[in-house]
Amino acid sequence: MKNFRLLGYLFALSLFIYSCDSSRDERPLGEYEKGLLIINEGNFSSRDGDISHYNFNTGDVQQNIFEKVNNRPFAGLVQDVVEFEDYYYLVSNTGKVEIVNKNTFQSLGSVGGNTVDDNDPELNIPRSAIVADNKIYIADWGPYDATFANPKSYVAIVNNLSGGDVFKKSRTSSRPENFHKINNDLLIVCSAARKIDVMRIGIDTVNRSIDVEGTPVRFIEHDNKLLLFSRSSSGIFFHEINKTDYSITNSTEINISNTTSKLTLGENGEAYIITSTGWPDYNDAVSKISITSGQVLDASFYEGNGFYGIGFDNFDKNIYLSENNGFQGSGTAIVINQSGAEVKTIPTGVGPSGFIFRR
Amino acid sequence: MLFLSLLCATSISIGVETSLLSPQDTVELKLVEVYSAPLEKYSFGQTLQSLNSRDLEDFQGQALAELLQQRTGLFLRQYGPGMLASLTMRGTSAGHNAVFWNGLPINSPSLGQADFSILPVGGFDEATIHYGSSGALYGSDAIGGAIHLNNKNTFNKGHQTKILSTLGSFGRWNQQVEYAYSNKNFSTRSRFYRNFSKNNFKFNNLARAGSPEERQKNAEIEQIGAMQDLAWNLSEQQQLSTSIWWNHTDRQIQPVMGSNDKDHQVDRNFRAVVDYNRFSSSTVWNIKTGVILDELNFNGGSNKTSQYLLSTDVDWNISSKVKSKSGIRFNHVRGNLSSYEATEDRIELYQSINYLPASNIAFSLNLRQMIYDGDLAPFTPSIGSEWTFFKNDNNSLSTHASASRSFKIPTLNDRFWVPGGNPDIESEESISAELGFKQEYTSNGFRLSNQINLYSMWVDNWIIWLPRGGFWSPENIREVRNQGLEYFATVTKSFDQIQAEFNGSYNYTLATILNTLSENDRSQGNQLPYTPKHKAQGNLRLSYKSNSAFVNGHWIGERFINTDNMSAVAPYGLLDVGFSKKLEFIPKVNAVIGFQVNNITNNDYQVLRLRAMPGRNYLININLTL
Repeated sequence: MKNFRLLGYLFALSLFIYSCDSSRDERPLGEYEKGLLIINEGNFSSRDGDISHYNFNTGDVQQNIFEKVNNRPFAGLVQDVVEFEDYYYLVSNTGKVEIVNKNTFQSLGSVGGNTVDDNDPELNIPRSAIVADNKIYIADWGPYDATFANPKSYVAIVNNLSGGDVFKKSRTSSRPENFHKINNDLLIVCSAARKIDVMRIGIDTVNRSIDVEGTPVRFIEHDNKLLLFSRSSSGIFFHEINKTDYSITNSTEINISNTTSKLTLGENGEAYIITSTGWPDYNDAVSKISITSGQVLDASFYEGNGFYGIGFDNFDKNIYLSENNGFQGSGTAIVINQSGAEVKTIPTGVGPSGFIFRR
Repeated sequence: MLFLSLLCATSISIGVETSLLSPQDTVELKLVEVYSAPLEKYSFGQTLQSLNSRDLEDFQGQALAELLQQRTGLFLRQYGPGMLASLTMRGTSAGHNAVFWNGLPINSPSLGQADFSILPVGGFDEATIHYGSSGALYGSDAIGGAIHLNNKNTFNKGHQTKILSTLGSFGRWNQQVEYAYSNKNFSTRSRFYRNFSKNNFKFNNLARAGSPEERQKNAEIEQIGAMQDLAWNLSEQQQLSTSIWWNHTDRQIQPVMGSNDKDHQVDRNFRAVVDYNRFSSSTVWNIKTGVILDELNFNGGSNKTSQYLLSTDVDWNISSKVKSKSGIRFNHVRGNLSSYEATEDRIELYQSINYLPASNIAFSLNLRQMIYDGDLAPFTPSIGSEWTFFKNDNNSLSTHASASRSFKIPTLNDRFWVPGGNPDIESEESISAELGFKQEYTSNGFRLSNQINLYSMWVDNWIIWLPRGGFWSPENIREVRNQGLEYFATVTKSFDQIQAEFNGSYNYTLATILNTLSENDRSQGNQLPYTPKHKAQGNLRLSYKSNSAFVNGHWIGERFINTDNMSAVAPYGLLDVGFSKKLEFIPKVNAVIGFQVNNITNNDYQVLRLRAMPGRNYLININLTL
């Protein structure tokens, strides 16, 4: 093992010397700059989330690339991966955010992940992050109360883009999920409160909230419109948001039952959403819908079990669907073409929940 | 003093070295001891190992999990020091071993397993490991083996008081006080203990950039308990005994590295057993009744179970060649859990027969049928034999073989948990076979013993909880083949006043997944998670006059963290040393003072991934007997 490490150092040194050659002025390609990144949420009890990398050209798959590059486990459940310039913010809902170089996955820093202050941990249940005004804003559910509600949700603000201590916590409505930056504001999707909170960047407090029909999931930009995707037991909604005052100007409802929050946009206003019948049949499916016409185009576009994440590759126009294998070991990504036929499968890590396409 | 001659009963004396027990023939039972049925009597063809009292002393106030991990070839999945510790025997899962306290099954009926971190050494006087499938002897759960914890009380000892104290790193303070009195016909013993650890050891936090050194938080443990043993020799033919054990463990649950969970768990366990034994020249008739009340309170959510047991059996030496034990056990189980309530009755019939056609060959046949909640559990037979094929003054060579079927009935949670419990779920079952060889050499204070067991087992209907929409539900889905090897070695040598003793073991365990859960499952042919293929352990002890020193080491191979076998937790080895001295500084007051250094090389290791474990740490034991 040590010999391998030594070889690794020598190899790195030779690359360094090679890269210092003045005749080469192009930046070397980061190992993960191109390809498919698969977000593996991980198993709750073992906290073994990480990222897999799939090379579109060679078909090679690398598992656990965070651990591979940094020689330590990711140690958390990957809730979200957020890109900003050269950074990826890997948000773990078990209380931390890891910051890596998005091309090499070299660790640059972290927020939280410690138990230094028992009574006021830096992060509780972070869900997503965004960079604005040279600060990291982290949406955090806050602690659970006795009824498993989250009345003390907040946005944690860190002054250094490479991580460090939380500088300020600013209260939000219950269960902030993610952000959308517009004008000089952050719009914060709060799922339990069914509200959109508006936070003025720089002032960093929520100054108003907008009520939403259904449980809001996230913002989608389509056809130069800002849409808010939300769900209810009987269907899903796409609320169009006024880009100036953030009021809801129009709502499209699609009557489709058993939906999950896993949705990806395809082409021409089409979208693919995972549905699940639950008990007792446990049948999952991908439904194809049109967010422009509000129609279900094909309720059973693709059927199976254990569907956990979905993505659409604008390059090859394929749908990437992930299957969690019951969280018993690693999962699988299934690549489906436009006609709903399986093209190939890709082995993933544990609990694959999403895709990032880097063509 | 009363003596009663009992054929084919073996008494396990306290103070012998870690020993592999083999069924013996004629032994006298003295009623100076409280009788307990000999565990090894009907287990020809299988291996039992008793842990010695010095091992128990070294681990005073610590969890049984620590003792088993450091001094045996068994592997315990430890979620941090003092945290949940579940046992895997012969590559089976945590619930696939039966645990008994004075003959009462103490695996939780709702969880189906025991937490070895809340069974303090000090809550019993003897620990015996039964390796291998033994469902026919012990009933449900004993697929990989069984652990027996017994109290050993005596008569005719007068007054005795013991004060045992342990101080150690990370705020450890274990305190036990015991008073015993016995005369010819009555024996009483009372014991109180408190074990505390702040558990704020330092570790490298791999979950943060730069892996900084931090102190563990939220891992404090406080355990208090009391025990009471009583026994009466009612006549020369009758004995009545009872043991009561109350144990209360209040723990902060050590979070996974990088997570800020602040869980808190309180376990309350009350166990009481009453035994009535009636002896005749050829029979022992036992009536046993007991109650086990368990409460597990996790973050304020209470889960209570109770078991009420009544059993009776007759152990009959029909002739010098044929012995028989016939019995029936009734168990009423009640569960009052955070999400459901359930009750059920279990009834078991069992029959054991020993046949000894010659002095060097013996056979055991065991049969058991359980009925639970109106359903028949799998019928479990087992057969075993032992043959000493060579013996002279110094050497003995023997071989043993056995075949058995075992089962585990689904837990209350498997059947009734809301949501997801599956009332139609079936028992897990196994078929296993083993073959062993044993060699012993003794000469002039030198003894060498080697034993090797080879086994193969097939476990089917293995229950796995799978996510089903919004919740998880159990299914009889996995099929596993367990194969392996157990090797035990003992060397002892005495010269002048020096005694040297070495005990070692090596376990090789293959636990291979035979089937897949779905089309895209890639686990077929892989090793089960957290089941090391290799574990080696050795203990060397030197005694000179009143001084004793030991070196103990154990090494555990890599453990895969998932069925995909992609990532593993690194192998680790730990070395512990200790020294103790007996003193008599006041007449009639005996003291033993000991000092131990655990993990002397200060290894940074994890048993389970991301569960921090302590580096080098120290213990001081002071034991007073008056």
